[in-house]
Amino acid sequence: MAVVTLASAIFSLEAKEIVYGAIGLAGSLFGVAALFFLLDAPYVAVFQIAVYIGAVAVLILFTVMLVRQERWAKEVKPASGTTVAGAITGVAVVVALAFAVVDANLSRFDSVSNTATFVDIGKLISTGYAPVLEVLALVLAASIVGALALSKVDREGSG
Amino acid sequence: MDYILAAVVVLGAAALGAPVLQTAERRFRIGAYASMAALALAIVMVAANTVNGGISTVPYFGNLLVSDPLGDIFALVVLSVTLAVAVASFYSSPNGPNIPSYYSLLVFSALGMVLLSYSADLLMLFVAWELMSLPTYVLAGFDKKRVQSNEAAAKYAILGALSSAIILYAISLTYGVTGTTQISGVVARLALEPFNPLVSVAILLFVVGFGFKMSIVPFHMWVPDAYEGSPPAIATLFATATKKAGFVAAIRVVLVIATVYALAPNSVFTLANVLAVLAVITMTLGNVAALTQKSMTRLLAYSSIAQAGYILVGFSIFAYSQQTGAFAYNGLLGLTGSIFHVVNHAIMKGAAFLAAMVVLTQLKRGDLGAYNGLAKRMPITAFTLAVSFLALAGVPPLNGFWSKLLLFVSVINTPLAWVAVAAILNSAFSLGYYFWVIKRMYLDPGESTERVKEPLWSVVLFAVLVGLMIGIGLFPQQFISLASSAASSVIP
Repeated sequence: MAVVTLASAIFSLEAKEIVYGAIGLAGSLFGVAALFFLLDAPYVAVFQIAVYIGAVAVLILFTVMLVRQERWAKEVKPASGTTVAGAITGVAVVVALAFAVVDANLSRFDSVSNTATFVDIGKLISTGYAPVLEVLALVLAASIVGALALSKVDREGSG
Repeated sequence: MDYILAAVVVLGAAALGAPVLQTAERRFRIGAYASMAALALAIVMVAANTVNGGISTVPYFGNLLVSDPLGDIFALVVLSVTLAVAVASFYSSPNGPNIPSYYSLLVFSALGMVLLSYSADLLMLFVAWELMSLPTYVLAGFDKKRVQSNEAAAKYAILGALSSAIILYAISLTYGVTGTTQISGVVARLALEPFNPLVSVAILLFVVGFGFKMSIVPFHMWVPDAYEGSPPAIATLFATATKKAGFVAAIRVVLVIATVYALAPNSVFTLANVLAVLAVITMTLGNVAALTQKSMTRLLAYSSIAQAGYILVGFSIFAYSQQTGAFAYNGLLGLTGSIFHVVNHAIMKGAAFLAAMVVLTQLKRGDLGAYNGLAKRMPITAFTLAVSFLALAGVPPLNGFWSKLLLFVSVINTPLAWVAVAAILNSAFSLGYYFWVIKRMYLDPGESTERVKEPLWSVVLFAVLVGLMIGIGLFPQQFISLASSAASSVIP
């Protein structure tokens, strides 16, 4: 599943045509949902599918269909040094993380056998973490205000 | 603590209410007035909290927030800066139908920063971090028709999202090891854990994630472009408010965890050394790059990076003293200096950025050539810029001198003395470009000697800021003791 997720993420970034990019993104999100299932978090997994694949990816596809444009992004050749530097940094981070995970001896942590149910999650976010939920609502409101301000077409002379 | 809740409610109401006024024709200024009033009211409430209830360090609000002097100081700084930015944008940006959204986003971001300052829980911290960041991505690109503004927004949003993801990864690693998101709980749990590479990775990821906002080298690439491309008032907000939020988050998480947990079982790869090395390369690169800049905003951006390096000096000595158990006094002194320098930097950089903004809007030029002979054309702006540059360079008796003194003295007798040497060399080096600009303004002949109008709002703001720089410089005791109480509240 990790391979599916990563492969489609890379595909979606490298795709020349934005439609393929969107489909790659959906595939990657699906891989993440499957990982959540494997991690005993069905609630998160279902929401991942419903919200991200069901809504976000489909919305992106619709937007692409409505605003159809050839060559939506110019291809920019990156400076030759940056690719090498990026690759070295990426490999270094992966190696460091891998060492940390191996060293950490994860098996000594007890895995929790019971999965978190919907009720448990609901209880937590409506009692202890209720303020976080409220602030999250503010985050959503802020993003909506921002998105509206950015995407609104200014009439001549009023912008 | 009730004061903080009241401030949060006021800010939230203003942020949610302002865009509603967008529908009212020709009354879009009401949203701006309401936002400024809310910010002013929130400042009063946080100040009341500082005077009355700032002593309690017991978490409240479902154990998610904590009311302590550290939060008070940062909340006051970010709210005051946001108010100054709101005033500056009110008079300088063109009015349009989107203006209520602009103020709404400004207040949303301020609210996020206030919640971040008081966060006692990693989950709350992350949500507040997002509430602070999301509006600023939009604000950076608010000048929709300017290509540079779009570029700034895109760069800032992508790197900001990356840093958020890194922070989230660090939080989940921390939660995985400790089983709690409560910062005090994490500390209690880690005190029993001798060494766990996952926790070390999490701490380093925290440093990287917060480092993006703090503009530490090598996570600084977005800074000059984003500052230059954003609307100038928003660049002020980035340099003086969201950057400070990065510092308070680092104090709340990285330094608090550092009191009980060492990064590695040896004495070389310690958090203190990591921070010290970051501090030295940050200030050196910032100062060297600032020297070669042609545009004022970029010069200020690199100087802002260099100042982040000075602030990190106090962090590293604090981490060192906590982990070795030696030099406890130096550690506290260093963190006091850091917090004091954060406050001073907000004032100095705020003044410098606003002065640069006035020059940009009045002369329509942002390159350094526009500053030739500025003292004759815009004497008040030139004077403000000169004072803020002297303060940034650490010339006594201005405020920047005292915080730099605290920072340098705190490391001088410790094994980290090499940092002090680098910092003092850098400080002397930075005088080069600061005095160079002052020389341009006061000695070089300009293209004309005609007086250019300086708007009244800028004169009032500059008077307040220059007054603060000189006032804190002459009477620093009150501020140092406040910063010191904030520093000691970090140790659990």
